[in-house]
Amino acid sequence: MIPLEYYVALSALLFVIGGVGFLVRRNALVALMSIEVMLNAANLALVAFNRWRFEHVDARAYAGQDHTGQVFAFFVIAAEAAEVAVGLAIVLSLYRLRRTVRTDEADLLKN
Amino acid sequence: MPSLFPVNDYALIAVILGMPLLGAFVNGVWGKRLGEPAVKLMALAAIGTSFLASVVTFFALKGTVAADGEAKLVWSAWEWMHTTGGKNGVSVPIDVRFSIDQLSGVMMLIITGVGFLIHVYATSYMAKDEGYARFFAYMNLFVFSMLVLVLADSLPLLFVGWEGVGLCSYLLIGFWYQTSANAEAGKKAFIANRIGDFGLLCAMFLLVRYTGALDWHGISNGAASLLNPGEGARVHVWPLGGGQYTGLLHFLQPKSPVTISAATAVTLALLLGCTGKSAQIPLYVWLPDAMAGPTPVSALIHAATMVTAGVYLICRLSFVFVLSPFTMMVIAVVGAATALLAATIAAVQNDIKKVLAYSTVSQLGFMFLGVGVGAFTAGFFHVFTHAFFKACLFLGAGSVIHAMHARIHDGNASQDVRNMGGLRKWMPLTHWTFAAATLAIIGLPFTSGFFSKDEILYRAYVDHTVNPMPGLASRPHGGVFEPPQWLGPVLYWVAWTAATLTAFYMVRLYLLTFWGEFKGWVVGRPSMLGWPAHHGGAKGEHHEEDLSQPGYAPHESPWQMTVPLIVLATFSLGAGVLNPGFGIERQPMEHWLEPVFHAASEKAVLFGHGNDAVWAADMMWKLAAISFLAFAIGTAIAWWMYIPSRGEPARRMAEASPGLYRLVLDKWRIDELYEATVLAAVDSLAETSAWVDQAIVDGLFARLTTLLVGISGTLLRAFQNGVVHVYAAFMVAGLAAIGWFFTVPHPAATVVDAGNDDYVVTAAPGIGYAYRWDADGDGRWDHEGFEQGDTTLKLHVEPGKTMLVRLEVQNAFGLVRAKKIHVVARPQAPISSL
Repeated sequence: MIPLEYYVALSALLFVIGGVGFLVRRNALVALMSIEVMLNAANLALVAFNRWRFEHVDARAYAGQDHTGQVFAFFVIAAEAAEVAVGLAIVLSLYRLRRTVRTDEADLLKN
Repeated sequence: MPSLFPVNDYALIAVILGMPLLGAFVNGVWGKRLGEPAVKLMALAAIGTSFLASVVTFFALKGTVAADGEAKLVWSAWEWMHTTGGKNGVSVPIDVRFSIDQLSGVMMLIITGVGFLIHVYATSYMAKDEGYARFFAYMNLFVFSMLVLVLADSLPLLFVGWEGVGLCSYLLIGFWYQTSANAEAGKKAFIANRIGDFGLLCAMFLLVRYTGALDWHGISNGAASLLNPGEGARVHVWPLGGGQYTGLLHFLQPKSPVTISAATAVTLALLLGCTGKSAQIPLYVWLPDAMAGPTPVSALIHAATMVTAGVYLICRLSFVFVLSPFTMMVIAVVGAATALLAATIAAVQNDIKKVLAYSTVSQLGFMFLGVGVGAFTAGFFHVFTHAFFKACLFLGAGSVIHAMHARIHDGNASQDVRNMGGLRKWMPLTHWTFAAATLAIIGLPFTSGFFSKDEILYRAYVDHTVNPMPGLASRPHGGVFEPPQWLGPVLYWVAWTAATLTAFYMVRLYLLTFWGEFKGWVVGRPSMLGWPAHHGGAKGEHHEEDLSQPGYAPHESPWQMTVPLIVLATFSLGAGVLNPGFGIERQPMEHWLEPVFHAASEKAVLFGHGNDAVWAADMMWKLAAISFLAFAIGTAIAWWMYIPSRGEPARRMAEASPGLYRLVLDKWRIDELYEATVLAAVDSLAETSAWVDQAIVDGLFARLTTLLVGISGTLLRAFQNGVVHVYAAFMVAGLAAIGWFFTVPHPAATVVDAGNDDYVVTAAPGIGYAYRWDADGDGRWDHEGFEQGDTTLKLHVEPGKTMLVRLEVQNAFGLVRAKKIHVVARPQAPISSL
């Protein structure tokens, strides 16, 4: 049995990698991928906490009934897929317009 | 057999009130499409039905009164609202309730009867006017409002009618609103009346406060509390409302507060309302300008009915007014002064309607004088007779103007008596009726005006108003003020002078209009074709003619206009039999109104010389002879000036003192005085406000705010650089801040007074928080360890003492934060609630 802390630490590590990646990279595709990493970090935390809760809290009263965390992860995956579909479309449009996928060059919407 | 209309549910009042309202609605909404004949039918049918119902009601009332002198016909329409008032905070119901007693019964007959005659007259006078339907809609609405005013059973409902007639007056004065002078006159009337309404509203508030009632019966029951000694019955005039000036304003604080009795406060406030509506000093200035309206309007609203509403209100609340002899004196003085002032102005005016307008102001002054000396019947009888002869005079003037309009189309020139003269030849009916009404107003013996005016003059001399509750004379604030004995003769002689002037200016007006040579245009066979036989087209259309060319003689008016004149002239001459005075046994009017005024005049109005009835009876014939002299002198001077001397003395007098003549011709320049004082003050206040608005509100506040918003916008705009990563960086920073906030514990606590000097301190909850307390603030913790459930602390603090409590909170990460809480107990003596 792997302790909860390991999962949480891994999740935090993944989240930081995703966040730093989003902040420092200028390529729109990489930015999208960074978001994916962050979302999956959250998924990992959700699933891990749900399992921990199942073993430590719910086992007594609601044995095997509480899967909120897991289900929530699925919802995150679905939202993720939709977001990528829209995000890639935007990136494609951006490329058609500006011949670039660098986010710091797409700064018309300012001031 | 049960009556169809029982005394306490007399639903026929609904017909009296409803018909004019229906007429106003029909003519107002569909008038344009109905056309003149249908509008005429609707308007006349509405007022006619109302008049018939009034007559039936009057006889029903007569029968009821014969059985029970205090009875009145009552109809409750619906409940309106409730308020609380009086000393004990009783519930004051305000219902839409109408009642007819002797006083309102007579008023109702005047309004519907004279109103009907004037409506008949107007159907011809207003013919071919563009606003025919609009005119009759307003007129019907006016009659409705006036009926609400006189039939109302309570002051708020009377106020509804009061405002309604004010509105109709405004609409009708400015009826030909295309001319801006007319619209200005309407505005002036409306605003002058608003000032009066302020007084009426104040009076209502005071009445609710002191008597706890607003209906006539309730006010009458509670009226005594307006004078009762004690805390409640004094109204603080200065400092206003009974406060105290302290600090910088201390110099305004008088040694002892200036107070007046509640009765005086209420009646003075009511009087302000009455002076506005009845055109008395100081608010009379609107009435002469109100002549800008069509002449039937002047006859109905500004002579016969609406302007007498003030007198009606004083009569209606006579039992309140007599509680304050001071106010009674003010009423009498205001009335006498107005009568004289307006009569002097009327003596030199050249506009036929202006003369009649000032005459109305003057006659209203006589009515105020009458009710002011406590002769309510005499004052009201003058309302009654004045309704006939003044309506007749105005309608006669309208008939003359109508004739003059045939060739003189300018409004001012067609009303100028200098363009008239000799009209008796061509307008016999108008001439005779005008002559009859003139004789009545100047007081030819045995005409109606003679009886009513003589009675007022006589009573002004002999009557003396006194404190109706003599038991209250020895109060610490000093007794109730009573007017001095010499006031009666002074009032008499002022009124006598006004009566002489009345005779002069009315005869002058009559002679200038109907005698001498016609000066309007050359009368003869028209030499050229093409001028319109009648003033065709709209009233506003000015096509001036060459008046040196001969034209047809002025023509008599059609029967719709002459029949009302004849009826009104008959009443002007004959109505005096209803209240002839002179100790004659038969006094139907006095007998009829006696129950209404009994309560008021019984104790408060005595004869002078210590209630010397023999002296009063002795004075009657002497004073009647002197009053007759007023008529004789005024008439003789006017006759001598304008018939044998052809106006020569008047011209010479005007030339001898041109300054004085101009001053009187300009109405003593009272309008200019108001403009320079009151209006200028209001204007400068408005200008100051405008300056404050533009410089301080717009300039400082608005611009400063804009500047702040602009600066912060400029600063924040720098961050909005369009680069997604920068936004993301800010978001990360924000999230980090929130994260830090949740990492650190935040101690907070609320203190609740549990009574008996016990206090409960409750610490704010938080995730994973554990607490420890130091209840006495001595630096040692009550328990060394933190405990999760230890959220509250009970304390006992002595009054006036302060206690220090310390609290420490530890969260799940083991971080600890401390907080000091001061628990302050209340002072020993609690501040009493005010």
